[in-house]
Amino acid sequence: MQEPTLTEPKIVPSMNFKATVATATTAVEPTSFAMEIESFNAFYGDFQALHNLNLKIPEKQVTSFIGPSGCGKSTLLKWCNRMNDIVPIAHANGKLFVGDVNVLDRSTDVVDLRRQVGMVFQKANPFPKSIFDNVAYGPRLHYKISRSELYDLVEWSLKKAALWDEVKDRLKKSALGLSGGQQQRLCIARAIATGPEVLLMDEPCSALDPASTSRIEDLIFELREQYTIVIVTHNMQQAARCSDRTAFFYEGKIIEEGLTEDVFTRPKVKQTEDYVTGKFG
Amino acid sequence: MNTPDKKDKSENPVQKHEFRGDTRRKRFNTSFSVICLLVSSLAIVALTSLLISIFVTGGNWLSFEFLYTNHRENNPEASGIGQAIVGSLVICGICGMFALPVGIGTAIFLEEFQPRNRYLKLFHGLVQLNINNLAGVPSIVYGILGLTAFVYMFGTFNSIRVNSQPDYEVGATYFYQTKTLGGTYVKFPAVAAIQPTFELQTMMNANRANGEKFKLNVVTNEESKTLPEASRANYAIRGTKAKLVQRDGKDFYEAQTLDGETISFRAKPTYSQFAKLLEPIDVVGPDGETFQLNVLPRTASTPKDEEVKLRSVFADSPDPTKRSSASIFRENSFFHLHLPFSKSVLSAGLTLALVILPIVIIASQEAIRGVPATLREAAFGMGATRWQVVRGAVLPSATPGIMTGAILAMSRAVGEAAPLLAVMGGILGTTNHLSSLMDKTPVLPVTIFKWAGDENQGFEHLSAAAIIVLLAILLLLNSVAILIRYRYEKRLGK
Repeated sequence: MQEPTLTEPKIVPSMNFKATVATATTAVEPTSFAMEIESFNAFYGDFQALHNLNLKIPEKQVTSFIGPSGCGKSTLLKWCNRMNDIVPIAHANGKLFVGDVNVLDRSTDVVDLRRQVGMVFQKANPFPKSIFDNVAYGPRLHYKISRSELYDLVEWSLKKAALWDEVKDRLKKSALGLSGGQQQRLCIARAIATGPEVLLMDEPCSALDPASTSRIEDLIFELREQYTIVIVTHNMQQAARCSDRTAFFYEGKIIEEGLTEDVFTRPKVKQTEDYVTGKFG
Repeated sequence: MNTPDKKDKSENPVQKHEFRGDTRRKRFNTSFSVICLLVSSLAIVALTSLLISIFVTGGNWLSFEFLYTNHRENNPEASGIGQAIVGSLVICGICGMFALPVGIGTAIFLEEFQPRNRYLKLFHGLVQLNINNLAGVPSIVYGILGLTAFVYMFGTFNSIRVNSQPDYEVGATYFYQTKTLGGTYVKFPAVAAIQPTFELQTMMNANRANGEKFKLNVVTNEESKTLPEASRANYAIRGTKAKLVQRDGKDFYEAQTLDGETISFRAKPTYSQFAKLLEPIDVVGPDGETFQLNVLPRTASTPKDEEVKLRSVFADSPDPTKRSSASIFRENSFFHLHLPFSKSVLSAGLTLALVILPIVIIASQEAIRGVPATLREAAFGMGATRWQVVRGAVLPSATPGIMTGAILAMSRAVGEAAPLLAVMGGILGTTNHLSSLMDKTPVLPVTIFKWAGDENQGFEHLSAAAIIVLLAILLLLNSVAILIRYRYEKRLGK
């Protein structure tokens, strides 16, 4: 966690609205950022999905993206580790930095970028392999690692993902035999096993029951200590419960961005207020 | 936005129309299912009667011996399909070894490596279009393609002449063999040398006096009379003797075409058809022992001693028109290969590989397309390269589908007769066993085809028996495909 600074409050620029200044809240304005996005535009063919985005995502905090379907939040998330490379018609311009890495630069090593920026998908997607092999998949891709060290790493990752106690006796069994919530935690364990700095989560709980959801939310809260987490969610309560900051997207633009408490309790824009109170969306 | 009008209490307009009644359409429904049943039972009746007739004709001729004995001319009782089964298996093995890696590789390229570049996209689309069309091409067309591409190799390498060695060859040893006075056969190695004369036998590459290269066709005297005047410069009569000349320190053969023009071609060391025995020579005897062969003058009398007779031959006549008694033989090692492949097991296997390639590609593409996109995303999201995604995530999930497609394609290859007839000819039996890829072999479908048309009635029964064996092999292959699919799905599942 960053120490709060006593100098003048940091100003978070937001393209369409006057600067929001952090005031007396429990959370403090961050000083270091894991990701910086400036005048970012993204397209699918001729269709512009994201318009001139400006956003800074602070280090070791949870930032949630909320907004109605089709507003571009998942698109932005996928651009953060260039998952949109798979989509042939997708292209983007502007500035998108993860740490010092210019993501949009052609010379950027996508493989290394994805090692640093892990991703957890909407639907749990374990490989049809054993639980052990699932977690070991990433480390095996990137590192020369001995069998025993790999075992330690798998154990560490599964413990981090709060799954170890449930699966320690069945590491050799197929991952497809786990329940939905367990599978999603396995995917989180798999993502953190490669040692990322940023974790992107694309609606990680949308296919889960409330009990599993709450376990994952607890997990996100704990992982915040070590990772910068960006989470896309349709669940307003989830954003309010587990994120430090919230960005509200609407029709490809960031309408409002700030501390979660502010966005939910004192929204500055009417659209945000309508959305978080459930009037539309 | 369309919103329902809450004040509108009017009735649904469909109520105003006359109700159609349901007896007629229900009757139609019943008769349609009866028609479907009849049509499908017709197919089953046809298949069953075919099976019954085959079993009646050939069932009694099936025996254990039938599976390992070979074809005997005019003797159906002693004939079998031993060589044909081995030949079919070998050719399918070659076919699989080429078609599966190439086919699966192409499918991976088409499905997983989709290009963004405009020209590569065009190439990609062209390949896809080609494959879709090739799947429907009749197999005899592939047979003719195999004939030009593999058997003759577009005439690039001079064609292989009867009783002479090809220009490009490995794994063959040539030796001369002769009969001693005692009746045993002895052999001695042949040494390649440039022969003083060369007989034109088949089409070959040659040069005109002005340096122009062309293909020289060889025809018989009879055929040459019907040739048009204009093309006579490209033809020579079979058996024409080409003479050795030296030009710029290199050896050339010179011969005349039909219109009397002198053409030339490079002389390469070849083995003479016959060896002249004029003086004693070291030979290898029938038991592998080495000794010196006595060459007796033609005027000498036959030795009395049996031991001496086993080690002696009469010398060849110095008259060059009289043939020598030592003629050339070839011994092939298992890796014997030559260019062009000529009519051989390798040509046949490669041709069959062409036949099933589109099937393998399309089946593998379907299997790869069936792999959920989420698996690819997961692997990409971990920072896997495209190959790592294919190797670690796509292929393991697609394997059952690919295997099933591959086995079904192989069962198609086992049953193909037309391309094999074109590429290897209709062989029923060979005297020597399959020892290298350059040998020919009988195969099951061709054996069935030849037997069915044989004048000897007995072979018709054998043909039916061979069909039963072929059907059993196909059934076996298909059940293996089902089994693999089942086991993989179980393993990938829970």
